[in-house]
Amino acid sequence: MIDRLLSAARSRTDGADALWRREERTSIAFESGRLKTAGVTEEAGVNVRVVTGGRMGVAGTTAAAPDVEALVTRARASAELGEDLDLVFPPTSPLPQVPTFFDRAANAALAELIAIGRGLVERLAREGCQVNVATEREVGETAVGNSAGARGGYAATGVGVTAEVIRIAADDVLMIYDQYVGGDLPTEGDLEALVRSIETRLEPALTIVSPPEGALPVVFTPAGLAAVVLPLEQALSGKTVLQGSSPLAGKVGEQVFDARLSITDDPLAANGPASRPLDDECVPSARAALVERGVVRGFVYDLETATRAKSRSTGHGRRGIFGKPQIRYTNLIVGGGPVDVGAQHAAPLLGGGLIADIQDGLIVDDLIGVGQGNVIGGGFSHPVGLAYRVQRGEITGRVKDAAVAGNVYDVLKRIGGFGSDGRWLGSRWSPSVRLDGVSVARR
Amino acid sequence: MKDRLAAALKASRADYTEIRVERTWSSAVTFRGRRLETATVSEDQGGFVRVLNHGCGWGIASFTSLDALPAMVGRAHELSRAVRLERPIRLAETTPQVADAALDLDGDVRGISLAEKKQLIEAYNGAMLSVSDAVVDTQAIYRDEVSEVWYVNSDGTALTQLRPEVTVSGTAIARRNGTIEKGLESIGLRRGWRSVHGLDERFRVVGQRAVELLDAPRVQGGAYPVILDNELAGVFIHEAFGHLSEADFVYENPQARAMMTLGRRFGKPVLNVGDNGAAKGLRGTLPFDDEGTPTQDTPLIKDGMLVGRLHSRETAAALGERPTGNARAISFRHAPIVRMTNTYIAPGRTGATLADLIKDVKLGVYACGAFGGQTMLENFSFTAAWGHMIRDGQIAELVKDVVLAGNLFQTLDRIDHIAGDFTWNQMGGGCGKGGQFPLPVTEGAPHVRIEEILVGGDV
Repeated sequence: MIDRLLSAARSRTDGADALWRREERTSIAFESGRLKTAGVTEEAGVNVRVVTGGRMGVAGTTAAAPDVEALVTRARASAELGEDLDLVFPPTSPLPQVPTFFDRAANAALAELIAIGRGLVERLAREGCQVNVATEREVGETAVGNSAGARGGYAATGVGVTAEVIRIAADDVLMIYDQYVGGDLPTEGDLEALVRSIETRLEPALTIVSPPEGALPVVFTPAGLAAVVLPLEQALSGKTVLQGSSPLAGKVGEQVFDARLSITDDPLAANGPASRPLDDECVPSARAALVERGVVRGFVYDLETATRAKSRSTGHGRRGIFGKPQIRYTNLIVGGGPVDVGAQHAAPLLGGGLIADIQDGLIVDDLIGVGQGNVIGGGFSHPVGLAYRVQRGEITGRVKDAAVAGNVYDVLKRIGGFGSDGRWLGSRWSPSVRLDGVSVARR
Repeated sequence: MKDRLAAALKASRADYTEIRVERTWSSAVTFRGRRLETATVSEDQGGFVRVLNHGCGWGIASFTSLDALPAMVGRAHELSRAVRLERPIRLAETTPQVADAALDLDGDVRGISLAEKKQLIEAYNGAMLSVSDAVVDTQAIYRDEVSEVWYVNSDGTALTQLRPEVTVSGTAIARRNGTIEKGLESIGLRRGWRSVHGLDERFRVVGQRAVELLDAPRVQGGAYPVILDNELAGVFIHEAFGHLSEADFVYENPQARAMMTLGRRFGKPVLNVGDNGAAKGLRGTLPFDDEGTPTQDTPLIKDGMLVGRLHSRETAAALGERPTGNARAISFRHAPIVRMTNTYIAPGRTGATLADLIKDVKLGVYACGAFGGQTMLENFSFTAAWGHMIRDGQIAELVKDVVLAGNLFQTLDRIDHIAGDFTWNQMGGGCGKGGQFPLPVTEGAPHVRIEEILVGGDV
């Protein structure tokens, strides 16, 4: 398919690249402890990008037998409206080795996916609680190529297991969620960690205590950290730097954060759910240091933004079937210095071992409305979805009706410590992080 | 296509089978800053099969290759049979529907060149950029689609629907020194090319608002009386209450059912709420849902009491109620689940105005526009695009970072005054649930006063 498309484009464009992707997903879902649904999804499509007259255009289709000439015509029409862009497609180059395909996952029968789900349902069952569990396995194939001669491709497997426990008592609704995401099937240890992670958060949540108020130490769990990481993901994208809206633009080499903070995007991470040998624009994968010991080191780029910024693509181009490639992180690793990205099943420990000397503060596991506000500016202000009060070094119960607020560029200047509970959550790896002086409001 | 679906349906060995096939033509033109990002035309198509067998669960298959349709009906049947259930899934009875329902295309977007679409959105983008040099970045998006949807099920329903959609949206980012602020506008309509002209002023205001927010103080955190403008009141009722009225939240959970017992008091008698998938010409409007059930106006809260909820055929049967036409899927890639359509707070009967709502507020917040909202069951958060303090019954200074947090039950009960100035707010984007985003919905409301609610921020 890639060769056919590129050869159709050769005589009619100045250059082209293309992506073909096929995915097959099998999923099962337990609802309220009952297995209710089994499903499959099969999807395939091609995306082509052309350069003609110094301008770029794209087109894509999910048609089963696409008319390649018509697709190139559509891409050329898209390019006619495009901006000038001196896009140079990367030549062929050796690709790094990284495991993306696991036989055990690819060959797992429906019954195995059901057994994983059933095991979790049984272990999570509680009087008065609703347990929902879903298991999904994906097998995908990706092929990319360009008119400079580069070709690449890989097969990949992905497994996702999600579990939630919902407990409703009168008007109090408690929902505790966790997930396993990986290339291979979860091990017994992974599943045990998932169960314990939910249990560890369920037990202390059964007691409701009043929230504290003021500028306080707050421990963000790996899940709770989303609100803090999101502004950084936006600011470290070459796109926002190029647009002039990134607060980190022009700060490469500067100490912006607490010297204990490091952020790396690593498409070659062992166990990384988003690992792959090359990106969707034929650029070989490589580790990208973004923040090292609090110092901004660089940004992530795809081909287009790199060309415009007169920089080099870091291999972070991701394309769907329909649009043009966009910058996308792979495995984002947030931690204190050179981190040891361990196995999935690090022992769950609520608070990450960071609460012993907290006189009064919070552990935040989930915030409501992350991503809604003025994210790029770094400000956050969210009611808590799931949070616990810490008093004299102990978790005393769950708090409701409280909100936390701050600005990440301020609070990340004084990190109170990284936890010992580093783990993958989707394709982000981080431990719990204690931040001091976070504003906590209550009703 | 109708014949292919009928043949596949006939060949199915399952007790219940439904097939949905979609072919979607879409185009998009996006500007970022002064630069065109993309101008594309796309064609997407695929199918969805869902079957049910007695004593078994749902078997589901979705696919992009329509040649695979007969095989996929067989696979869905096998998957259903792999799921054994003691308590069977039942579907509420509905009257089979046979219809050819084409919505008004209002200027078929498929006949307009990409160059014309570029010209339109470039002008709106320019309106944001022209405000001030402080507007450092913008995003302006034009997007349209026409979707042909074929639906058949083994109960005898056979529908063809033509669904248009057009969206224009703009984001302006203003920056001065270290301060960055945002303005947002989004207009989404279930219409066509003719309906998105003459909006320059609304885009200029987006740029202006972002710039004005640079100098605005953050709102002081705390509990205040808050007046929601029409847009935010709509987002509020969708987020805070609408999701709990979706019956898939309660039908398998006895405690949730107890919490949402019909007849329970949810608010003061001024409060009336509903969801109307049959309202004329709105973005969440469709003649039939994705199970072939006709849409309708469903009262949810009447004079402060819970009187109804939103259903699919499965949740309606489980609760012994009637389907409401709220089973919706964002595309052939997904199964229909219980979703809202056009959700509203009905206008107050006294015909009160905004001035009436604020005149006896000594210190409060007038919260306007919506950056977004999210519910976590009984707790919710919604983010106003901007706000004003209310001081001694008057609208006072502009403030920013107005995030409202609350508990559903407390907050609904604290709505004490509803104005008569109802409007539908037809925004782009949409609602997300169960991995399905964005689903086109509309929200409608008048100005609404909440006696007291927590506003996040510095304390």
